[in-house]
Amino acid sequence: MSDLDDFKATYFDECSELLAELEEQFAEIEHGDRSNGRLNAVFRAIHSIKGGAGAFGFSGLVGFAHAYETLLDKVREGGVKLTPEAVALCIRANDIVADFVHAARVATDLPEDYGADEKGRFTRLAAGEAPEDEAPIEDFDIDFVPVMARIARAEAEEPRGASLDAFEAPPLPPESGQWEIRFRPHGELYARANDPLLLFRELASLGELTVRAVLDATPALADFEPFGVYCAWELTLVSPTVTETQIREVFEFVEGNCELSVVEVQPLAMSPGLPPLLIDEPDELPSFSDLMPEAPAAGLMPPAEPAAPLPSFAALAEAVQAEASVRPAGVPPRPEPTARKTVATAEPAGEPEVERRNGVQSIRVDLDKVDRVVNMVGELVITQSMLTQQMDETLRVRYQELVRGLEVLAQTTRGLQDSVMAIRAQPVKSVFSRMPRLARELAQVTHKKIRLEMIGENTEIDKTVIEQLSDPLTHMIRNSADHGIETPEQRLAAGKSETGVIRLSAEQAGGNILIVVEDDGAGINRDKVLQVARQRGVVEADEQLSDEQIDQLIFAPGFSTVDAVTDISGRGVGMDVVLSNIKKIGGSVHVRSWAGRGTRMTLRLPLTLAVLDVMLVRVSHNPYVIPLSSIVETMQCARASFERVPSGGKVLQVRGEYVQVIDLCERFELGTPADDKTRFVVLCEAEGSVKVALIVDDIIGQQQVVIKSLEENFESIEGIAGGTILGDGNVALIVDVQGLKSAKPRRHAA
Amino acid sequence: MEAFGLRDDSVDQAAVAAQNSMQLIAFSIGEQTYGVEITTVREIRAWNGATPLPNTREFVRGVINLRGTIVPIFDLRARFGDGQTSPTKNHVVVVMSVGEKWVGMLVDAVSDILTVSRDDIHQVPEGNSIDTELLNGIVTHDNKMVGLIDLHAVVSGARAEA
Repeated sequence: MSDLDDFKATYFDECSELLAELEEQFAEIEHGDRSNGRLNAVFRAIHSIKGGAGAFGFSGLVGFAHAYETLLDKVREGGVKLTPEAVALCIRANDIVADFVHAARVATDLPEDYGADEKGRFTRLAAGEAPEDEAPIEDFDIDFVPVMARIARAEAEEPRGASLDAFEAPPLPPESGQWEIRFRPHGELYARANDPLLLFRELASLGELTVRAVLDATPALADFEPFGVYCAWELTLVSPTVTETQIREVFEFVEGNCELSVVEVQPLAMSPGLPPLLIDEPDELPSFSDLMPEAPAAGLMPPAEPAAPLPSFAALAEAVQAEASVRPAGVPPRPEPTARKTVATAEPAGEPEVERRNGVQSIRVDLDKVDRVVNMVGELVITQSMLTQQMDETLRVRYQELVRGLEVLAQTTRGLQDSVMAIRAQPVKSVFSRMPRLARELAQVTHKKIRLEMIGENTEIDKTVIEQLSDPLTHMIRNSADHGIETPEQRLAAGKSETGVIRLSAEQAGGNILIVVEDDGAGINRDKVLQVARQRGVVEADEQLSDEQIDQLIFAPGFSTVDAVTDISGRGVGMDVVLSNIKKIGGSVHVRSWAGRGTRMTLRLPLTLAVLDVMLVRVSHNPYVIPLSSIVETMQCARASFERVPSGGKVLQVRGEYVQVIDLCERFELGTPADDKTRFVVLCEAEGSVKVALIVDDIIGQQQVVIKSLEENFESIEGIAGGTILGDGNVALIVDVQGLKSAKPRRHAA
Repeated sequence: MEAFGLRDDSVDQAAVAAQNSMQLIAFSIGEQTYGVEITTVREIRAWNGATPLPNTREFVRGVINLRGTIVPIFDLRARFGDGQTSPTKNHVVVVMSVGEKWVGMLVDAVSDILTVSRDDIHQVPEGNSIDTELLNGIVTHDNKMVGLIDLHAVVSGARAEA
């Protein structure tokens, strides 16, 4: 069933988004924002995950999510306080939900009792649940019953009476025992895979329930929409003990997606068998008059399954919700009953912020498709620049219309390129949102007090760049927490506040994105770094380094100054990963440190990976490009000071440093090099800040190129990172500086 | 009805033909004629230079831009060990698909499209290892020998040995 697979894939995609949303919400909640909007967003996310899981029969996930939801519910009602411990538990629970989702996605089984501990803690936290919760659980007709029943029993063992009062603080006056419920679902209720039947079953478990369908909103057949929602219900619930809260609880999940009124019928009408419609008749009369003749008969219809759309998820719901403001006239809002004692009405007013965000219209597109467009736009840019180059003065004078057309083409192409890049761009929030909890965990493990501040989370970067960003950021924050921030005692002694601050910020600067991780810790201990570097032979004993060079040493592979390896860092892997990851995506890392005041690490990243900034050079008669990100400087050979080494090779002396020289002409076997005087040195930086000097015949200029793979139709070549197509349609090869550096010269092999 | 019958007939014939015979694109390198199955050929274009690839064997002439994709060019003459071709504008690049990849073959000229029967394919006589390695078989057409090129063998071993 490919359809089902599609739905599943959509569901899993959404789960990832919802889980990210959970992280985000909890980051705020942790900061003390306990507003209902946040809680509701959390609740909704968990509920959506649970709903889909139920539809696909992921019983473990449903069971866990339900327990989680129950706790959240209590919190929302104020029955349970959201203590830091509770928040920590919830955050742990998010992980478990994520694990369940992952297990379901890859179709593996988690241990039977996975998350049971947390589930137990939920139950204990939410202890003293109202007994009515048992009924709906057992009534759920999805096959997760065994799991749920276990909780239910656990609950049953809890002492009940006292806590029952705790969250139904103002006891309602004696009940008449007869409740009139009007329930008019909106389209999005079905879109969120809710089923009125389940709600009614839950109600039925509270007392004697009579259900009547109301079809007064049904339009004439001509205006009938196949997926329109025209059916509402009036329900009479007779139970001497039930409270309004209990009734509303049943509708908790669909709140905001329906019109709901719960009215207690006054004792004078108390007569269990009496059809409730009688009481309503005076109010209903005016509206009956403009009804279609068949409407009264419809009142006898059973609460059959309404025309619920396919099992659809939040994406669809969003679309529906976006439409909600321009609802088709087929579903007019129901006039409020006036003559009644309306206790409360749940209108889909909701939380404005959350609602607005749900209203964002989006479509889901395979990244491959976008990449194809990006590639084609790249081609278009090249073709366009090629056309422009063809225009000489005579053509310009003769074909003015053509010139104008080309100018427009150039503009449009540029606009198109920007727009396509914008499609791939994503806010860095998706990576940043994982960091608060990392900081929190680090603080716990290191027994330090750490506050993480984040700025510019909405800065957008290309998706592929973002994907590469997670590991480096994790390592950098670890490093800051472990090495940068001092213990509270040390901080106090140094006259700083007890809590260390790590600031994570992102901003766009020209064609780059700057990501900065700053801390107000002790700064890099340069003496120690240098000492360790000398011990490990990273730096020669007599070599003198500038402060900046010493700071940069922390990126050397296997480098660590910590005496004791901790769980977090100190193993010497980490910062070199940062450097290599960032280099891989064409970025650079810069670190600056102030003793006693802190450290700032700056990542400079390209806006996109699809386009590379390069320097175009000529080697023999062939064009080559060198990524700008790896170039340190260029100079004329005539002004460079070369030295001979015994092997016959050359080294270049740059400001006291001796650098390996690679003559591209020789290395690429492209004939005998021309006179040295007219050639150029391009000083590049390979991995680990190792410099290498490339000698080229000419420097043509800088430009942006689209990277093309050589492996697609051929195979990888030593020293070449790929190809690109120049404005004249020729192929230029991209020099792989790192590859050239590590490969042995093969000059003598031939 | 008759029309339908006719069409069915022709389909059958084509199917039979497809089983027993194959169409070749024949091209020449010096005096020799070689062929590849026509279904592998993507396009034929005039030689217009290529960007040389470093650290590759001499029969890899470089790469060209084929509508935004980088395609390597193999010099068939050099591949057969006869030294590099000195290409002119009259030389031809036959672009073919080999498995998932597209490659170009630099040849002197494309001569013909041949239809040969699969039954007429002869084994390559043992002897010169280059022949047995690079040819799938030999067919005779107009009393001339046409070597069937094994494309997978031709494109392998392109990287220079260290």
